Amino acid sequence: MRIDWWTLGLQTINVLILVWILGRFFFRPVADIVAARRAEAAKLLDEARAARDAAVAARTEAEAEVVRRASDRDRAVAAATAEADTAKAALLATARAEADRLRAAARDDIHRLVALETARAEARAGRLAVDIAARLMTRLPKEAQVAGFVAGLAEAVATLPEATRAALGTGAPLALKAPRPLDDDERATIAGALADVLGRPAEIAVTVDPALLAGLELEMPHAVVRNSLAADLERIEAELARHDVS
Amino acid sequence: MTGSPLVSEPLFHLGPVPITAAVTTTWAIMAALILGAILLTRRLTLLPSRTQSVVEMLVGAVDDQIRDTLGADPTPYRPLIGGIFVFVLAANWSSLVPGVEPPTAKLETDAALALVVFAATIFYGVRTRGLLGWMKTFAEPSWVMIPLNLVEQITRTFSLVVRLFGNVMSGVFVVGIVLSLAGLLVPIPLMALDLLTGAVQAYIFAVLATVFIGAAVGETEPPDPHAIAKEPETP
Repeated sequence: MRIDWWTLGLQTINVLILVWILGRFFFRPVADIVAARRAEAAKLLDEARAARDAAVAARTEAEAEVVRRASDRDRAVAAATAEADTAKAALLATARAEADRLRAAARDDIHRLVALETARAEARAGRLAVDIAARLMTRLPKEAQVAGFVAGLAEAVATLPEATRAALGTGAPLALKAPRPLDDDERATIAGALADVLGRPAEIAVTVDPALLAGLELEMPHAVVRNSLAADLERIEAELARHDVS
Repeated sequence: MTGSPLVSEPLFHLGPVPITAAVTTTWAIMAALILGAILLTRRLTLLPSRTQSVVEMLVGAVDDQIRDTLGADPTPYRPLIGGIFVFVLAANWSSLVPGVEPPTAKLETDAALALVVFAATIFYGVRTRGLLGWMKTFAEPSWVMIPLNLVEQITRTFSLVVRLFGNVMSGVFVVGIVLSLAGLLVPIPLMALDLLTGAVQAYIFAVLATVFIGAAVGETEPPDPHAIAKEPETP
């Protein structure tokens, strides 16, 4: 065995050169790129972690916002409900008041219409009664249309004031209304009865008015003595109407 | 393979310097490795290609081996350990090229490699511990061990030479003998076995170099370069 020292030395130098070159141009670049990738990965991880934290924070904020919105919505719904209840109550009160007012007005109208119809019915009834009475009067004897009312005429004149009674028949005949023309006896009876009441002779001027139905009436410049069946029926009718109204 | 494996005959001379086949083969291997390194590292990107992934895996494996053995940052040791591994592997596998005898089948090449490792153990030991601290390691665990430790420095380096030389040279020798006795294709299984043997010897040489350097620099607190990578694994 023989060692070639030149070869040993050259191989040693070769190995050292190769180690240096590989370390400089192979191992270092590869290690650097691995380290750079590792650093980039760490950076990306940090960024991802930061992004995740931000996302978590955003999600938390969003959840809080949802809760807040729900609370606001509940409050708004409650307020709207209360406002609607208040408005509904006000509308109901207004409607109820309006209904009450309309009901009262209708009731008043009904009462007024009932009263009006009642008055009309009573008026018709009164007129019907007068008509009935007038028709019945036509069945009585013609003497009854005058003779039964002479005493009443004298009593009515007697109740007149003294001044009025004194002025009766002075200057002109007494205007006497009768339902039919009077015969002489009836004229004399009536003039006698008036002379008794007035204390002096009385001259009469007879005017026929069938509307009296029966009776005798005096017409003076300042007074009227009504003593007829028509006047009585009118008073009765007026009395009935007043009684019904009251 | 007709000559003695223990003798290196010069191919030519550069002045007084004889240039043997091992040296020229080493230059060719160096040229190929340097060219390959330049090509492989020409376009390194953060998003690696398939080729770049393989390269990074190789460098990562070297780093892991150094880190596991030394328990220290592999950066200062990566060029030496990785370079020795790549060169020994390329040299061992150069026997596949017809007519080429691997440089590691010659004693001078293995001795040069062992010499570099020996010098590196001293360099890293002195740099880490200081000259006095490094010398004190020879008195561990007791001063009685000083002679044995001194002898160990020589013998273990010599064992590196003999191991690599014996394995590679024997493989080449056996293939040569079989090729001279049998047909053309008969040595192919033995050549395949040489591939495995060459890879194993490259790995063993690199690991032993790491172990020797680790023994020189002593125990250090290992950094945790995988801290970022390991973090997601934490449940």
